[in-house]
Amino acid sequence: MSAHITLEDRFTISDEVVARELNGEMVLLDLASGQYFGLDPVGARIWALLSERPYTLAEICDRIDAEFDAPRSRIEADLVALANTLQEQALIVAKAA
Amino acid sequence: MIEASSQLKIAPARSQSSLARKPYDRWLAPDGVSQAEFYRSTDGFIIRFVGQAEFHLGERSDGGFVVTGWPAKGSGERVLRTLYRNAIQPLIGNHSGGLFLHGSAVQLVRAGSILGGAIAFLGLSRSGKTTLAGALAKAGHPLITEDAIDIDIRADGHWVRPRGAHLRLFHDSARHLLGAEASGDTADEKCEIAIDDRFPVADEPAPLKHLFILGKDHHADLAIRKLSSAEALPAILPHSFVLDVEDRERLAAHFVRIADLAQAVCCHALDYPRQYAELPRVLAAIAASTRTASV
Repeated sequence: MSAHITLEDRFTISDEVVARELNGEMVLLDLASGQYFGLDPVGARIWALLSERPYTLAEICDRIDAEFDAPRSRIEADLVALANTLQEQALIVAKAA
Repeated sequence: MIEASSQLKIAPARSQSSLARKPYDRWLAPDGVSQAEFYRSTDGFIIRFVGQAEFHLGERSDGGFVVTGWPAKGSGERVLRTLYRNAIQPLIGNHSGGLFLHGSAVQLVRAGSILGGAIAFLGLSRSGKTTLAGALAKAGHPLITEDAIDIDIRADGHWVRPRGAHLRLFHDSARHLLGAEASGDTADEKCEIAIDDRFPVADEPAPLKHLFILGKDHHADLAIRKLSSAEALPAILPHSFVLDVEDRERLAAHFVRIADLAQAVCCHALDYPRQYAELPRVLAAIAASTRTASV
């Protein structure tokens, strides 16, 4: 699945997910499965951006690049990996271009 | 204040024949054995505690429930009433917007007689919650509640409501704490201890200050670790009561209430060896952590 995700892809948050930010981290509950997930502060920021509107992953990379001190290449790789995980868990849904 | 509204009607004992439909939820023991099964009925829910009792929860037009309970053959009314009090009422309470957790709580006494906040213990069945609460009560800290924690969400915090003066302990814990033989139940069942002057009991709500979530390893070394709110939230959720896991709206609201609790109360992971000889050391460590840790 990860091979198919590119920085031009857009995602929306599943209606089946409820999230809560707690001291910089994010806890997600998948209402369909009852499973919980945790996101670190960078992941929490990405989730917040996904919640705002269906940005492309490249646009999210721009925001993270501006806010966190990390190489752009690593941000891109980590973001695609996170998007892949979130999509596999049905926490986000690909949005048609 | 949100009140869990329900009335219990007790029906004659009956055998637990198989139901035509499949349960939409189950409570499983740590060994995977089904303890309770949740079914839908035409007007509400059927909850079967395997081999113990069965309840029908009929929804009233005002949102409350009329509850009918049948002891299982070979069980009795006492078991039925205990399950109603410690499981059905908490399930209905959370379904109605309340906040009940599976655990026990005491009120800390500081400097001899000044009543402090409440501390609560959450954990799986047979994890030691009631033994810890009973040992603290025996040491002079008033028992607030045992088995089900009823939390009143107020503007000034989360308050634990007292739920009556009784203590249900497994026989080995009863022997250790009371030095007495309990009778009438098998070793795998709890015996109900009438509270008397051996245990102080709280009769007023107390503000919840500390939550201890007991680890699963009964041979672990003593360790107390403060949890971040993000760690505490998923750790607390399995110890709450959810009547309808398919009711997304209520589940989301329940998640928010637990998240608020995780943020407001100092939460700890507690591991310790389940040996009675170790209890004094465990209680001392718990007391120390409540003095040093804050939200």
